[in-house]
Amino acid sequence: MSDDTKRSKPSEKMIELRLPSKLGYERVAMDAAASLASRMGFETDRVSALKTAVSEAVTNAIEHGNQHDEAMKVVVLLTVRGDELIVSVTDQGHKTIDEAYVSRVPQISEAMKRDDKGGWGIWLIQELMDEVEFTTAPSGGNQVRMVIHLER
Amino acid sequence: MHNGQTSIELIFPSILGYEIIARRVVATFANFVGFDQARIDDLKTAVSEACINAIEHGNQLQPHLPVYITSSYDGHRFAVEVSDTGTNPLAIIKEPKTIEEKLAGAASLRGMGMMLMAALADEFIVEPSAAPGNTVRLIWYQCEVAHT
Repeated sequence: MSDDTKRSKPSEKMIELRLPSKLGYERVAMDAAASLASRMGFETDRVSALKTAVSEAVTNAIEHGNQHDEAMKVVVLLTVRGDELIVSVTDQGHKTIDEAYVSRVPQISEAMKRDDKGGWGIWLIQELMDEVEFTTAPSGGNQVRMVIHLER
Repeated sequence: MHNGQTSIELIFPSILGYEIIARRVVATFANFVGFDQARIDDLKTAVSEACINAIEHGNQLQPHLPVYITSSYDGHRFAVEVSDTGTNPLAIIKEPKTIEEKLAGAASLRGMGMMLMAALADEFIVEPSAAPGNTVRLIWYQCEVAHT
């Protein structure tokens, strides 16, 4: 159990998921987040947005943070706090996220000229979630904290 | 193609309904490593039962007590361990009542979980955890185990 899980407040409900750094396992995190969000009452389109954001965050952690090292874990924390769902994705920090990527807005015209059409993940996460924060976890890895609010 | 052992871990609070999330996580994992839908349906039912037992009996419905799940796959054997942190041992009923007896009112309508898990998994073990609590171990093999 991570330190964050131990620190959860009585009013919070926290789920911790630890995944191997292998592409494809992001689907496990997507389905866990979707299942919890549906239970909280989020509409289908919001659940779809959450799944996309979680998929991008976990894929980034596997590919960049943990450099596909299957022995390294990606930790996904899902916290229910009132009407908001907080999703935190942490890698073990083989490689830190370049700050320029966090504020960059990718251009489709430029992307189409490149062989590699990637590089949209961080922008997508920021577009889809209500709050997004990129930090360094106490363990030293990259941490993406995403919040989605339930509108009633 | 699967190489080596892979595992995932899940920790969730002892709240009824959260077993649905656990069930989905394990089912997605099983689907990813190539289990067919019929086996996944068995697995989902058995994992749900193990989680509900852990929440209700082992952890006595205390939300702050976590339920731990470790699921692993080595290319052949898919294992799910569900552990609670309570001190209430899970009783194994040696001679369970039949469904007919239960429907006739001779026994509680509850208490079918252990039988279900034993019937649905290739191997089913209940044992005390190293730490206080109980561990239910459910195992499925990718190829059916030959019964003699």
